[in-house]
Amino acid sequence: MRRPALIALALLASLLAMAPAADAQRARFDTRLLAKVPAPGFPAMAYVHPNGRIYAGTYVNPGGDSLRSRVLEYDQDGTLLRSWTVPGQDLSKDHGVQAATSDAQGRLVLLDRTPSRALLLDTDTGSFREYSTFANLAPCPPLEARTDCSPTLEDRDPMANYAVWGPDGSLYVSDFLQGVVWRVPPGGGAALGWLADRRLDGGEFGTTGLALAADQRTLLIAQGSSAGLGALNPSSGKIYAVEIRPDGSPGELRQLWESRPADLPDGFAIARSGRLYVPLAGAANQIAVLAPDGSELERFPSSPGDGGNGSPVPFDTPSSARFLGTRLIVANQSFTGNRDNQALLDVEVGEAGLPELIPGLDREAPALTRVRLSRKRVRPGRRVRVRFRVSEPATLSFRVERRTRRGWRETTSFTRRRGAGRGSAAFTTRGMRRGRHRVSVRAEDAGNNRSARVTRRLRVMRRLRG
Amino acid sequence: MLANRRRGHRPDDNFAPELNEPIVSRRELLEAGAVAGAGALALGAPEAEAAKRRKRRRRIRRRVDVVVIGAGLAGLTAARELMRDDRSVLVLEARPRIGGRVLNRPIGDGEESEAGGTFAGPTQNHILGLAAELGVDTFPTFNEGENVYFADGERTTYSDTGPTGTAPPDPSILPDLATVVTRLNEMSKEVPIDAPWEAASARDWDSQTLEQWINENSASPRFRALVPAATRPIFGAEPRELSLLFTLFYIAASGDERNAGTFERNFNTRDGAQMFRFLHGSHEICRRIAAGLDGRVKLRTPARGIELTRGGVRVVSKRYVVRARRAIVAVPPVLAGAIRYSPGLPASRSEFTRAMPQGTLLKVTAVYDRPFWRDEGLNGTAVSLNGPVNATFDDSPPDGSPGVLFGFVGGDEGRRFRGQSEADRQAAVLRNLADYFGDEALRPSRYFETDWPGAKWSRGGPVGIAAPGLLLAHGPAIRQPVGPIHWAGTETSNYWNGYMDGAVRSGKRAAREVMDEL
Repeated sequence: MRRPALIALALLASLLAMAPAADAQRARFDTRLLAKVPAPGFPAMAYVHPNGRIYAGTYVNPGGDSLRSRVLEYDQDGTLLRSWTVPGQDLSKDHGVQAATSDAQGRLVLLDRTPSRALLLDTDTGSFREYSTFANLAPCPPLEARTDCSPTLEDRDPMANYAVWGPDGSLYVSDFLQGVVWRVPPGGGAALGWLADRRLDGGEFGTTGLALAADQRTLLIAQGSSAGLGALNPSSGKIYAVEIRPDGSPGELRQLWESRPADLPDGFAIARSGRLYVPLAGAANQIAVLAPDGSELERFPSSPGDGGNGSPVPFDTPSSARFLGTRLIVANQSFTGNRDNQALLDVEVGEAGLPELIPGLDREAPALTRVRLSRKRVRPGRRVRVRFRVSEPATLSFRVERRTRRGWRETTSFTRRRGAGRGSAAFTTRGMRRGRHRVSVRAEDAGNNRSARVTRRLRVMRRLRG
Repeated sequence: MLANRRRGHRPDDNFAPELNEPIVSRRELLEAGAVAGAGALALGAPEAEAAKRRKRRRRIRRRVDVVVIGAGLAGLTAARELMRDDRSVLVLEARPRIGGRVLNRPIGDGEESEAGGTFAGPTQNHILGLAAELGVDTFPTFNEGENVYFADGERTTYSDTGPTGTAPPDPSILPDLATVVTRLNEMSKEVPIDAPWEAASARDWDSQTLEQWINENSASPRFRALVPAATRPIFGAEPRELSLLFTLFYIAASGDERNAGTFERNFNTRDGAQMFRFLHGSHEICRRIAAGLDGRVKLRTPARGIELTRGGVRVVSKRYVVRARRAIVAVPPVLAGAIRYSPGLPASRSEFTRAMPQGTLLKVTAVYDRPFWRDEGLNGTAVSLNGPVNATFDDSPPDGSPGVLFGFVGGDEGRRFRGQSEADRQAAVLRNLADYFGDEALRPSRYFETDWPGAKWSRGGPVGIAAPGLLLAHGPAIRQPVGPIHWAGTETSNYWNGYMDGAVRSGKRAAREVMDEL
């Protein structure tokens, strides 16, 4: 996809994510079934793309299968739009794919299980390109943690599972089994060990989440367990923070939060408030809410176990959460293989997510200039065209309001997506009452809440008789 | 048409004219050079060239963002979505009307009967949502009373509230019915709705027909005879024509993202795909969309060729030459394959359109002063092992005046039927209806047939069907855009493929693909 189109879509998506009136009335933790994920199923992660659509990869079937993994595209209502089959997988081994993030061109960054690699998927052409590979590291000598070996008790295969962009265009990737965080240099290539730590050895339940904090220099890392005995309480999960130093090296790993035993925190999301929403894929089948300082605030549902959330599908190995407006899109992996529970769930949380950093994707507000109305005075029933120039593809919200004694009252509103450059949109004054009106145009990047707004005056005159 | 007439197949003068057009018109034959000699005699070659040039000059040139080919439900939906996004759109429609396989026919007193797509049901939220947006109300299909089952000259009645639903609870078929339906439902869950060719057993399932599988998995001859009575109305095809994989996909598609597809939801009226009808007929939806498109639909304008250009596409028709950044082809695969593409399409796409024919399905309609069958406690739904009409429905307006029954004649029955004289056809249909609902059915106030296979711009219905091997070999070509050309139409839908809901879904999806690019 071309970048301008992508940005425009991103803006629209973000706007839509904020806009739905129905969502505004939803209670906190109101949970709905967005979509069931068809065979091969096992969605471990649902990525919310800046274009507003949701991408879910089908992940490893613990029971084994020979189905090629697919990436499924859903719209915000859960309508299945398109899908792509991942090429080149080794179907004789565990295989699965996660849509982890996207790049500035809108291409999806996929993390493939076998072979262990990152792929770029261009959804316009359906073409795949290898972006990086993750090496199978030999175990480090006891009590050593180096980035050229795996600081784990046992020798395990690589299993890249979450990815996040750093400010410099590096891609940081967590490894479920090898106790390291990888760094893929800008532009791709073989991944290099960036952080190795014994505390990232979770045995069969290792690193399960990665996110960039609001300061854009701290990585938050979720750990499913400490089964590798690198930390106390091996059965409980943790969330760690580590700084990306100015020279690019990792700072000290510090623990933010510790879960209850067997919670298996997985694929968390950060709200704009700094709160963390942490799906618990273990026995709890809950979502834990943490304060920015790591203290646990609440859990949903309040009782652990059955995952009952009020929707037709309970939480069943909820494995990731991503923000879509004020909704959390939760991927229900159902590790035990209950096909009816392999689904994407939509949980209203009443607050927006932290915008994702995608280097190269312009997050500044678009500049809106040369806004002109085709008429400043108009009779009812005529069309008025709004011409403008916008610096980049944007979602433009048009709002026509009439001056009343109680202030401005909306007469009509609509949104349009427009590419960079000159553009126009028209509306009709049919049914408008005479009087003073104003037309406001807002070019919006709602995902970042940055927008430019320009207002022009319009007078609707009396209808001509005869 | 000439051939049809020789066989006694006469056009209905009251019917939409395009259904009575020959598959290949005389003009097309002339243009193709089939009678080049005769043409040359009638008109000198230089004069003919000059005439051609004059005609070319008269073509109207238009430049738009998106050109949509086909003003059926899919094309209209796509155009509506694009227009709502302020894109300039032009829709080229070959027929002299909009609606494609959705069509109303007048039955007097301002009432209309659906000659094409008719019903909607639970999980078909896209067509129902669109209708609601356009202010087209729905009403429940008349379903009070008993269904009729007719087999070997015997009529029995039953309620569809029983465990078999609309399927007849014939004791001789019940064990097979239960086993086969359960197994098909279970197998369909293994079919990825978006990529059936990726199913674990795709190779096995796409190597056999539904008939082969039924023969191996059922014992009752009567059950085996019942299966075509189901596939004819659903697909317009015999079980031997259908890939098992395609059938399983069709079952999987009878649901939505939140509800797995089942055979019952496809086949039943109660809680199934036949549950609702649209007030003033389903075509009303198309009319209202077209009204909103404000003159952007050009009728009698078949697209003859699509050329890829540097800026997008150039679509050539007899009256228009349209340059656009993107094209959405929203016609059945068999018709999409008849368009000339320059450069040619990828082999897989060409092969796909070549190998996916439309089903053979006709709709026969009998209008009565009142729905007399209701007096007997019948709801107008019949399933019959005897042809030509294997399934009927009550198609009366909400107030039951007049009474309307329509029936499906499909597959082999349809092909036989089309070869009979008009009188024989009508007699056979009315005989069927009388067997199902009593002798009063022999005296309709009005009777008409809708011959979709004979319609030049449909070539059959209700859906394109896949024989063994097609999905596995060329399935991925169904939706994959070719450069600036995007594909819509119910055959390209994942859920409710073959239904109006699938058409709407496909139109929305294609519009989004295009909007991503503009």
